[in-house]
Amino acid sequence: MWYYSRNGMQLGPLSTEELSGKARGGEVSPSDLIWKEGMPDWKPIAQVPEFQSTSGLSNPPPVGMGSIPMQQPPMYPAGYIPGSVPNYLWQSIVVTVLCCLPFGVVSIVHAAKVDSLLAQGDIVGATAASKSAKTWAIAGLASWGLLIGIYLIFVLIAVIGAAASGP
Amino acid sequence: MHKDRALWASLAVLALAGAAYALRETAGKGWMPGCVFRKLTGLDCPGCGMTRGTYALLHGRVAEAFSFNPVGMILLPLAMVALGIEVLGWVRGKPMPFRIKPGRWGATVVAVVVIVFWIVRNLV
Repeated sequence: MWYYSRNGMQLGPLSTEELSGKARGGEVSPSDLIWKEGMPDWKPIAQVPEFQSTSGLSNPPPVGMGSIPMQQPPMYPAGYIPGSVPNYLWQSIVVTVLCCLPFGVVSIVHAAKVDSLLAQGDIVGATAASKSAKTWAIAGLASWGLLIGIYLIFVLIAVIGAAASGP
Repeated sequence: MHKDRALWASLAVLALAGAAYALRETAGKGWMPGCVFRKLTGLDCPGCGMTRGTYALLHGRVAEAFSFNPVGMILLPLAMVALGIEVLGWVRGKPMPFRIKPGRWGATVVAVVVIVFWIVRNLV
């Protein structure tokens, strides 16, 4: 079952046949983002393997200039597709408040950039900011877990030591 | 609906409940490590006071909880509810119809508030 995004609205679910029918009919354009369960992110329909054979979506073969292939410009959907790139804001807040500095704050700053970049149509930038937010949140959580682990080992050693040297 | 995801989510809820119970019953007995950033630098981080604050909250002392960390006391429950909704969507394999989305301005405001709070609490 596929979901697709058009003019900032999330639509669907549709079967593969229904969606490729819409694509053939021009109701879904090649740069519209689609997603189904299991895909890590939304992708332009023209880049999803299931729809590459759909007529009207495949790019025409490049017009050769000698042997140098013409580069297709990257396709970005126009406007703001809310939620098409996860921003990890809530995760980064939890990490920050659980005291994993300075990683949590770095993560919040990257998370805050995701939706602004999306609003400007910069999918690549938004995806990069999303990845940074995720990485810093994980780094914060992991370093906190590591320090707590070391701390608990020291506490355990101290307790065992006290018990061993006791009367 | 993913059964394995439901299992992970239930385990996380159990772990949170266990942590809350441990904090409520045993905090103040001096075994918790406290903030690493504060130990290393002597400065408060944006999360400092959350252990004492949550402990106070779990004993029903709301005003005291807010005095330890007002920003964290608002942001942490909000983030937990928002994340809970996202986890429900993840478990059923499709985003929930109702989600808390801060949007571009909301997210920026949160980032600015946290950083300003971090600086200001170390000045006053």
